[in-house]
Amino acid sequence: MSTAAMSRPRSATPGAAGGGNVTFFGVMRSEFIKFASLPSTLILILSTMAVMIGFAALGTWLFGSTMDSFSSPEMTAQMGDLNEITASMPVGGLTFAQLIIGSMAVMVMSSEFATGAARSTFVAVPRRQLVFWAKTLMVTVVSALVALISILVGFVVAKPIADNYSMDLEFTSAAFQRNLWFGMLYVVMVSLIGLSLGSLLRNSAGAIVVLAALFFVVSGAVAGFSTMVSWLADAMRFLPDHAATALMQAPGTEGALETWQSGLVVAGWIVIPLAVAALVLQRRDI
Amino acid sequence: MIRAEALTKVYGAKRAVDGVTFTVQPGKVTGFLGPNGAGKSTTMRMIVGLDRPTAGTVTVNGRKYAEHSAPLREVGALLEAKSVHKSRSARTHLRALAATHSIPNSRVDEVIELTGLGGVAKKKVGGFSLGMGQRLGIAVALLGDPQTLLLDEPVNGLDPEGVLWIRNLARHQASLGKTVFISSHLMSEMALTADHLIVIGRGRIIADAPIEQIIGGQNLPTSKVKTDQAESLMNALAAEHVQLTRLDAETIQVIGLESRVIAQRALDQQILVHELTPIKQSLEEAYMALTQNEVEYQSNVGSSQPVGAMESRA
Repeated sequence: MSTAAMSRPRSATPGAAGGGNVTFFGVMRSEFIKFASLPSTLILILSTMAVMIGFAALGTWLFGSTMDSFSSPEMTAQMGDLNEITASMPVGGLTFAQLIIGSMAVMVMSSEFATGAARSTFVAVPRRQLVFWAKTLMVTVVSALVALISILVGFVVAKPIADNYSMDLEFTSAAFQRNLWFGMLYVVMVSLIGLSLGSLLRNSAGAIVVLAALFFVVSGAVAGFSTMVSWLADAMRFLPDHAATALMQAPGTEGALETWQSGLVVAGWIVIPLAVAALVLQRRDI
Repeated sequence: MIRAEALTKVYGAKRAVDGVTFTVQPGKVTGFLGPNGAGKSTTMRMIVGLDRPTAGTVTVNGRKYAEHSAPLREVGALLEAKSVHKSRSARTHLRALAATHSIPNSRVDEVIELTGLGGVAKKKVGGFSLGMGQRLGIAVALLGDPQTLLLDEPVNGLDPEGVLWIRNLARHQASLGKTVFISSHLMSEMALTADHLIVIGRGRIIADAPIEQIIGGQNLPTSKVKTDQAESLMNALAAEHVQLTRLDAETIQVIGLESRVIAQRALDQQILVHELTPIKQSLEEAYMALTQNEVEYQSNVGSSQPVGAMESRA
């Protein structure tokens, strides 16, 4: 590249416009300007947080009052590891929130194509990988922050309710820390799968439907039939939501993959769709 | 300077652009003329790398567009009006594009003023008229003060004042020594704006010459003839260089014969003609003839060499 740069015949001289070359930092800034300028983005982020925090409060209250109504310790014991359940309360809304934040991530890419803005974007930055990875980084940062804030606020809201029912919800407990950090990873994974789908399908509705199908329909159906078909129970562990949930739960649960295996599955669900989307974006016409 | 070599784009079975080779020179306005679907937009999209050529290459100032380190300062492109997210304001759209090249916001405000968008810059683009959308597209194209301007049908949807503005802008940029490449399907518009024409039809270059040559080469005599014996008259007039079009039961359009000859032939055949109107062929029609009959024209152009840019047009 450097020798070519020296021999370039006639290049843009610094004219009236000022400015410099395309840089990854510049593309990042551009992506954040675009991202922040859309009301739909903010609405989806706020909805994600509202659902997460609301479910944290509601879940803790429902669980607490249910436990309270149990008369004997035997019934309580049947519920399983109470500490684990309590610690998962602040991430209780994940099942629903995932689709909202996932939709946001889908639209980061699909809205470019739906509106024709992609033409402007990729004429300004014809090296498409720069745009793709800037968007990827942005979605990662935004979704991680949204998840972190939601879970932390969820914890703060759930804590007094838990205390009220004498449930043990501790910030420093290993169980809550697992839910916090792997819950974040879960959200980032869903968002990046959404981004990849948005990039591959270039259509918001289509990509959101596929995302919902993957996380609700496929996941639910496989879980539902897994009691009857034994190989489905094996396959289920490799679904993205099951693998990420396994990381959030206590290690050594029966039938679950090892922690590192689940981690690998989650990594695969992040990396492979991104790689395919990046490759297709490079090759396909805008 | 834009250089296309054997540039080809195939969509399924359709050869949208079929091995075109041309050079767009700096310092003049080059019109890219052709009917809808001739391959103009596809060619322009390939120049800026939105479409990948099936074969051939196209370079801007010696290298592929994507290989420039500051593409926006190299080429300003207006491809389709409203290549913008509808919920975004014009200014935010420009700011986002400027950010990629670290172009300061002062330049954003400059192009907003330059394109007359000052009053609506903070409004959502979704509410823009087609003309306003075009102006925003021009603002984007000018953002990096590029060496090369690529405008795809820029006068679409513009009012007469806007059309004039584009024309002056193009001529001004060319006078600064920049490369200006404008596509249009309107010969009349190109006649007023361009110094040089590249005519494309069905994906092939059918003419590449100074504009005067192209207009001159197509000035064939045209007449409208009314007769009750339309078919007999058509047989009488038929010849290799004559183009006959049946307009209705008794009306024929004849291109390529003087009206005196038509009258003589009708007399020879004892055909009663009750109307014979010579029509002065417009530029538009010259262009229609050109794009309808690409092979014939090609030989025409080959025999006469382009003689450089004209000085007198301004």
